Amino acid sequence: MLNQPLVIAQKEIMDGLRDTRSVISSLMFALMGPLVVGLVSLSPAIRGVGVSPSPLVGLMSVFTLVAAFAGGMNVAMDTIAGERERRSLLPLLLNPIDRRDVVLGKWLAVSLFAIAGLAFNLVGFSVVFLTSGMHANAPWPLLMLAMALGVFPLALLAASIQLLLSTACRSVKEAQTYLSMLVLLPMGVGMFLVFFPAARRAWFSFLPLVGQQLHLQRLMDGRDVPVLESIALGCLTLALATLVMLVSSNRLGRDEIIYGN
Amino acid sequence: MIKVFELGKSFDTRVVVRKLSFQAADGAITGLLGSNGAGKTTTLRMICGVLKPDSGSISIDDVAGEPLDRQRRFGALLDHTGIYSRLTVRENLIYFGRLRGMAPESLTERVRQVLSVLGLESIADRRTAGFSQGERMKTALGRAILHSPQNLLLDEPTNGLDIPTVRSLRDLLKRLRDAGICVVFSSHLLDDVRALCDKVVVISSGSLIAEGSAQDLCGQTGTASLEEAFMKLTCSPEAAQC
Repeated sequence: MLNQPLVIAQKEIMDGLRDTRSVISSLMFALMGPLVVGLVSLSPAIRGVGVSPSPLVGLMSVFTLVAAFAGGMNVAMDTIAGERERRSLLPLLLNPIDRRDVVLGKWLAVSLFAIAGLAFNLVGFSVVFLTSGMHANAPWPLLMLAMALGVFPLALLAASIQLLLSTACRSVKEAQTYLSMLVLLPMGVGMFLVFFPAARRAWFSFLPLVGQQLHLQRLMDGRDVPVLESIALGCLTLALATLVMLVSSNRLGRDEIIYGN
Repeated sequence: MIKVFELGKSFDTRVVVRKLSFQAADGAITGLLGSNGAGKTTTLRMICGVLKPDSGSISIDDVAGEPLDRQRRFGALLDHTGIYSRLTVRENLIYFGRLRGMAPESLTERVRQVLSVLGLESIADRRTAGFSQGERMKTALGRAILHSPQNLLLDEPTNGLDIPTVRSLRDLLKRLRDAGICVVFSSHLLDDVRALCDKVVVISSGSLIAEGSAQDLCGQTGTASLEEAFMKLTCSPEAAQC
């Protein structure tokens, strides 16, 4: 039953890894946050005794959310908009494959790259923690693990949204415009919540993206994140990802994919 | 065997195919002949299940139903630029064979056969980026015939090819026809149609204008050549093309 999606995913992963330039740019996106935070952590103002590094640690969560969105961006662009541009989508759709399986296969591949981006980001932050002497209000290995688990569903949602946008575009260039804007979304939400904490509402914790940002901040502040709340947020995020994928499948079955604008 | 009955398709207000009916038999090459924009590509795309007809029906080997049911029964080459440039020829073929559910052992052997038939052995393990038009076309044709389909659909397969490649393609299509395959191809090139087709379906402005062998069409129009017959048919008041 999952054979065709897995075949598609395997091909997309191999194809994506051979696109060396895209792999390097995704890696740079993932490591951008640790690099910036690492450089700023060298500042005497941060290193000085008694100065709290919490704003810096707060920014980490923003960079981590960005990494979850950036890791799969290039593959998402290439895998549908790129295929339309190179006219290889039509030969694929000539095969007896349900459109949902096509989207599922491509989503698996994009998700893998998104999770890899997230993993590189967290490894980078771990190195920053170990080498800079920065401290959060929680033990860093536990913090990194909690961040990984918390942001993991968001990476899957990001992959599905990116695929949907890619389905709506006819060229890599067009897709790049929209997906680059999408990467700024977690940055905007994160900045808003970091600098306007008064705007928060209790139900924000159940909103995908906003909820993950709030949970990350609580983790870094050393406060507990209710497990049930975290699981509910994860489930809601995955449900939204599934819904977005169904919309993509529907779009892939429309005439405009093959013909017209 | 492919049967098309009263097929219709419009894009917005523009009618592209109108009440088009024809049959393509097994063991025969059927050519869809028409000028640019006549509706040949749209017709083939509807048969292949990637565009939805507004009206009419399509059956392949007497199976109508959902597009996926039809797609199991044909191989198609509708756009020979659509191969994966970061994969080798062999990897391109294996990918589509796996998507068709071919078993690994038989797939390996079948890929070897197809590479041999198409003369692609020497470049089988090269990535397809930078391939010539002929090499790309052969790779895409290999993708279309890999699973040994009973029906083969080709959209202007000789466009942009050099003379030796056109000749080898024509020889391959004749061999497939002689093996009992139903081959349908669209073209606006009379040389292709004359050299290959057992039956010609002439389309103009999305409608069927005439069908039969090249000789039949000459007989119907009282002309000495297929070119004259085509001009006469497509410039008739019903065709309203000229």
